[in-house]
Amino acid sequence: MPVPSIISVDAATKKFGQFKAVDDASFSVKPGEIIGFVGVNGAGKTTTINMLLGFTSPTKGTISLFGERIKPSTAHRSHSRIGYAAGDMELPTRMTGRQYINFVMSQSEGNHTKRLAHLTEIFSPQLSKKIGTLSRGNRQKIALVAAFVTEPSLVILDEPTSGLDPIMQDAFLKLVRAERERGTTVFMSSHYLQEVAEVCTRVLLMKNGKLVEDLSAETLQSTSGKTIRLVTASKVTPPQYDVSSVEHSKNDNGHELSFVYKGKITELQRWISRQAGVVDIDISERTLEAEFRALYQDDGGKK
Amino acid sequence: MKNIFIKTLYEKRWFTFGWSVGFVAFAALMVSFYPAMRMDGAIDALVANMPEAFKGLIGDLSDLNEFSTYLASQLFDIRLPLIAGIMAIILGQGLSTAEEERGELRTMLSLPVSRMKLLFEKWLALVVIAGITVLGLYVGIAVTMPFVEGATIDAGDLSALLMMTWLLMVTFGTLAFGIGSITGEKGAATAISILAIIGSFILSTFGQAVDWLADYEWLSLIHYFPATEIVKDGVSWVNVLVLGGLTVALFTVAAIVFRSRDIK
Repeated sequence: MPVPSIISVDAATKKFGQFKAVDDASFSVKPGEIIGFVGVNGAGKTTTINMLLGFTSPTKGTISLFGERIKPSTAHRSHSRIGYAAGDMELPTRMTGRQYINFVMSQSEGNHTKRLAHLTEIFSPQLSKKIGTLSRGNRQKIALVAAFVTEPSLVILDEPTSGLDPIMQDAFLKLVRAERERGTTVFMSSHYLQEVAEVCTRVLLMKNGKLVEDLSAETLQSTSGKTIRLVTASKVTPPQYDVSSVEHSKNDNGHELSFVYKGKITELQRWISRQAGVVDIDISERTLEAEFRALYQDDGGKK
Repeated sequence: MKNIFIKTLYEKRWFTFGWSVGFVAFAALMVSFYPAMRMDGAIDALVANMPEAFKGLIGDLSDLNEFSTYLASQLFDIRLPLIAGIMAIILGQGLSTAEEERGELRTMLSLPVSRMKLLFEKWLALVVIAGITVLGLYVGIAVTMPFVEGATIDAGDLSALLMMTWLLMVTFGTLAFGIGSITGEKGAATAISILAIIGSFILSTFGQAVDWLADYEWLSLIHYFPATEIVKDGVSWVNVLVLGGLTVALFTVAAIVFRSRDIK
């Protein structure tokens, strides 16, 4: 029996006048998936999220959450199972962080005191101060605590780490990994491809309102690894295993070899130590960014 | 804070406090002026020689000797409807478009709160805040009256004046709130509401002197709050029905549109 989708977007189009912000997008999300929703500014990510939450309705097509069709008038029914945070989220400035979190908790059933304590430990939000007096990063921490505090089965995040310092970004990624273990479904738009590659099990790529790529966990895995660039006095052969995208070239400095390596780092170290006449070496993380850039350099819109 | 109603009252507490204190002071000031207006016969003579248009501007001065008619004409006629109406418009606009323009409305709608519940509870907060500020008027009058010679008013008359002030405020507030909820546009909500209150003011003041304007005076919302008639003849239930009906109609249309429109 097929697993029912938590999110189902079927040929959704959203027009603003003649402009198509989202154009015939279709995808579905299964329980427990961690979706990275990427694309440049104006690609249609936030418009899609607005439709998922029922802030706006699609001009054409349908959107369903938990098997129920989403309409602005009835969207609240599914919101008891959804947590939401956005990078530009406006929280009630006259309330303190604690008042706001309590307000959010009071809108759903159950006791979330332990969960709040756990999230407070992770993010250290300033709960006693008025939200209006907090910096963007500190407001974002409160938005994230509010999104996760009711233990929702689906968390929708729109640029969740913008405004967070690197330590908090790491804390957030750790939380998402923990949520993945718990079986929570996370739908996360982000500009930070590194964080998407780190935690997501699948990546949806938007371009000009269209969904142009749906990268599975396997494909994501294939984009991981390290890019090695080695310049030597004489031509060398790359390691025998866990190597792809091998390229040889010759320039004034010598012979250049570049390849993608996905094996153990100790094996790579051994292989490098065996090479004679090394002039230069460069090792960098291969990221989703390469995939992303390739798609955006392609004018056709389809890979 | 477990619901939007309480949250709204909490967030508007300083607004409510400020306007309530202002209304206390305004009412107290007008009551304390009563002896001067009553004893100075020169005012009657001055009024008799005034052009009709000016009489409209300063209210009905037909009987300043009676405290109830003095209060009706000098506090509740024209001035208070204008000030209270503007307050209600600011409140109604703030509760609808200001929150949407800041993006706070999306935050609230991401919670398991239905649009209808959100709209109703905010409107209910508007109704209650209007009531609290009207109580400020009562406090201002009640506290000052014992110190002013001859200042007595029938409790029923005062209640009727306060109730109609509240109803007028709710109507103006619902107008701004309703347009804001329908359009999501601060400019539209403010412009149409201000047009309504300024238009009402012009029709109700100059309508007494300008014949062609008099034909349209029924379009003025202030027309349905004839303060001096209320203390003389009691509340006209037709006026209550007009203001109440308009309020219900505005809220209903706002609710129908708001429940399915796109949020910014």
